[in-house]
Amino acid sequence: MSKENWFLIILVLLLAFLPLTESRFYVFLGTDILIMGLFAVSLNLLLGYTGLVSFGQAAYFGIGAYTCALLMKKASVPFPLAFVAAAVFGAIAAMIIGFFCIRMTKIYFAMLTLAFSQIVWAIAFKWNSLTGGDTGLIGVNFPAHLDSPIRFFYFTLAVVALSFYVLRKLVNSPFGRILTTIRENPERTEFIGINVKLFQLIAFMISGFFAAIAGALFGIFNHSVFPDFIFWPQSAEVLIMSLLGGIYNFFGPVVGAAVLLYLRMQVTSFTQYWPLILGTILALLLFFFPGGIVGFLKSRQVFTRKNQCS
Amino acid sequence: MSLPDPSFLVIQCLSGLTYAMFLFLIASGLSLIFGILRVLNFAHGSLYMLGAYLTYYFVSQFVNAPGQFWWAVIFASLSVAIIGGIIERFLLSRLYIREELNQLLFTYALVLILSDFAKIVWGTGQLSVSRPAILKGAVPILGQYFPEYNIFIIILGPAIALLFWLILHRTRWGRFIRAAALDREMLGSLGVNVNRLFTLVFAIGAWLAGLGGALVSPIVAIVPGMDVEIIINAFIVVVVGGLGSFWGTLLGALILGQVTSFGILVLPRLSMVFIYVLMAVVLILRPWGLLGKPLQR
Amino acid sequence: MRRSLTLWMVLSFVTIAFLLPQTANAQKKPILVGYPAILSGGGALFGQPSMVGGQMAVKDINEKGGVLGRPIELLIRDCKSTPDEATRVARELILKEKVQFLVGGFTASQGLALSEVAKTEKIIYIAPVSKSTAMTEPGKLHPYVFRAAANTNTEGRSAAVFMAKNPWKRVYTLGPDYEYGQMVIKAFVEWLKKIKPEVEIVGQAWPKLGEADFTPFITAIMAAKPDAAFLALWGGDFVNFAKQAKPYGFFEKVKVVAGGEGGCPETAIALKDDLPLGITTNSYDLFYYPDTPEHKAYVQRLKAFTKQEYAPSWAITGYISVQFLAEAIKKAKSTDTMKVIKALEGLTINTPIGKQTMRAKDHQANRGQFWGTTAKVPEYPFPILRPVEYIPADNLMD
Repeated sequence: MSKENWFLIILVLLLAFLPLTESRFYVFLGTDILIMGLFAVSLNLLLGYTGLVSFGQAAYFGIGAYTCALLMKKASVPFPLAFVAAAVFGAIAAMIIGFFCIRMTKIYFAMLTLAFSQIVWAIAFKWNSLTGGDTGLIGVNFPAHLDSPIRFFYFTLAVVALSFYVLRKLVNSPFGRILTTIRENPERTEFIGINVKLFQLIAFMISGFFAAIAGALFGIFNHSVFPDFIFWPQSAEVLIMSLLGGIYNFFGPVVGAAVLLYLRMQVTSFTQYWPLILGTILALLLFFFPGGIVGFLKSRQVFTRKNQCS
Repeated sequence: MSLPDPSFLVIQCLSGLTYAMFLFLIASGLSLIFGILRVLNFAHGSLYMLGAYLTYYFVSQFVNAPGQFWWAVIFASLSVAIIGGIIERFLLSRLYIREELNQLLFTYALVLILSDFAKIVWGTGQLSVSRPAILKGAVPILGQYFPEYNIFIIILGPAIALLFWLILHRTRWGRFIRAAALDREMLGSLGVNVNRLFTLVFAIGAWLAGLGGALVSPIVAIVPGMDVEIIINAFIVVVVGGLGSFWGTLLGALILGQVTSFGILVLPRLSMVFIYVLMAVVLILRPWGLLGKPLQR
Repeated sequence: MRRSLTLWMVLSFVTIAFLLPQTANAQKKPILVGYPAILSGGGALFGQPSMVGGQMAVKDINEKGGVLGRPIELLIRDCKSTPDEATRVARELILKEKVQFLVGGFTASQGLALSEVAKTEKIIYIAPVSKSTAMTEPGKLHPYVFRAAANTNTEGRSAAVFMAKNPWKRVYTLGPDYEYGQMVIKAFVEWLKKIKPEVEIVGQAWPKLGEADFTPFITAIMAAKPDAAFLALWGGDFVNFAKQAKPYGFFEKVKVVAGGEGGCPETAIALKDDLPLGITTNSYDLFYYPDTPEHKAYVQRLKAFTKQEYAPSWAITGYISVQFLAEAIKKAKSTDTMKVIKALEGLTINTPIGKQTMRAKDHQANRGQFWGTTAKVPEYPFPILRPVEYIPADNLMD
């Protein structure tokens, strides 16, 4: 079995024992990291694997959170259905927005994704009657059968592990190979007969699907859904997580999410200048550690790697 | 609601124009930097904020000097230009060989750093600067009053636009700048120091942002968060008008200014959505902006 | 092989680092109280002094021996102005720092968000400032939330009473488009229609919270030529509005009744000569009124504590909230949540501005406010409220 699969199994086992520490805080932190890790990995499908810099993934995260919460709260839809609906909505939204965004490339693409995600934010922020406006949806309860932080943690662990498994299978499949080929050279890929735009759109949709799952989980975990979930610094934050962990490695973004969340929690207890520290970390990353944490660790051992960043 | 009378429409329009001119100042710098350097400078709002804070600082330094406000504006905007130049020369330029994402994210890192820097130096409360003495009053227009300072801004905006247009199209350096937008390698091989050109362009863009911040300081509160607020609006302006297009930026700013101004009358609680819907329509129909070029690279 | 070994080692190291026990908090002597406060942005003008009041209360209480022999410790975090940040900060305070009580939040949306956190984590939350009636209305009320602040009904209805006293017929409203603004204007309009049905609301303006540029709203209101306007702007928003409206001659043409504590000294000091005169507005406290010995002593202590010449008015909100908490713990003789809840319900305490009672039926204190008209006076370099009176809340709350 490959190294990454070992990593996944060890991670799952370790986390499965987390609630035994009897610490509500670790269960809280663990759930947070799992959810954001999934969000970051979903983004990395676009970023690291397909070479698409999307600055608007928070839109699908938020759509997932709002859809699941709204269905459960206002329409009394049972959780499993609401959860699936959230993921599907995320994919559909990604399809619609992605369709308009992939017409452009590189920096214009990034701008379009940012612009569209701000539009989604504005809708969430202003549509008081549906989304609660800037007050948000307060009071999203744990679904039945999952009505404790520990149970919800296990559920999150299962969902996230399953999602990782599916995504890994995807990136190691011929489909995944095509994505990396597109990342390396879109024009040449087009020449060998592959419909680049179609594959990019599909990648976009898959990314949106899993981002929405992460969002739905987070909405319940947080017990409230706010339009801030969709505001552009949230998109920037998940990008930073991916970059911090390493975008050329499947689990890199998870490492990045874990490190960032933990750091933030520690730093904010003794200073209010977390953005300064975050900005400095980001700058250092960009200048000195383009491969992120995982990339840095790997480069210490091997000199030639086909995934070494350019 | 009763039918608005014409004097009110004129005033509302002038309000929108004032706001548009500020947006134009900032967005034109953003557009310039993008057009030439291909960098979308998220930190542009932070430079604007620095311009405002530095104006406050210089005003308090030049206490009771004649024309203190104007001197403060000059010093503040120049300082921001210098800061911008330093950032480009020593930091940003090292990222040019990398993919564009790196440059984009670096400017975001700057946003984070600069916003906390402002908090550390000037605190987290609100600061304010008084209007300059000679522009303290208001002019009667069709029976309503409109502040003199705002009229000044409305005149200054097109003046600066004209100045830039002249520089870009009538001077040697302006030609180089326009050439750099099209083909920087060719320009380099013709013997022009492209690196220095880039630093200059970034500094000019920063100067525009700093000037915007300096000039806005008597009107709005100088407060943390003003950087995020303005960059979103500047972003909308360049998306609607067209990144890298000078006239597009002006058009975008005018549109946004008037939509904001009249939007609050037509749809009081949805004026923000109005703007985003406008942006969405432009993005769907003409993703490169109203006056942008359909080139994708 | 070597690659996976290093990866294993890193993994183990990281895991051990995570599992290292957090500094033991649970057995420490102090009573930990989490305090999310607005420390940045336009809201900090009010949020910062409000928090300082809480700090002074803690100092006063600890100097007298604390509560049940234990000192109180405030853990303060910047919750900015969004409910999202307030939620995150509160949950970390509860789960990581293990606070036993929560006081703070500022905006109405934050109050609602923190109330929800209190409900799920089963921790008492006392809101010093958040005014939305939605927090304490039936259906939303739960055992763990309490409000020491006034609410939007009290404020909106007081404003309506003042509006009705005057002969104005055409009224425009302007309030920030979020929970507080919406609720206070709703309360104002409904009450005004009830007590003076002939008044016409000629228009409503809804800038966003933290609006930088009010000029389109200013000109729109003036164009409608109302007799008067009710403003619900607070903190930095009110300061901006006043500064931007002045050159248009707004306050000469339109009479104003303003909620949002426009009459507080913090605003007056920020605006100085730009503070409009002759408007009717309110404040939670005033360093110059009332004249009771208790209040004077409080003001003196506050001046020394903050090292400011004019004691901030917002401090009272944090002060009274901490007082409620401390007194309740003393009465319950325990920090057990359910016992303290029981003690809080119906509790009457002596505050620097008089007696305040936390109503049992809706966990709301009978908090009124000081209302008056802004006027220039020779004693101070900025305008104050004169005449001024305390409007009690008892007849205005549901």
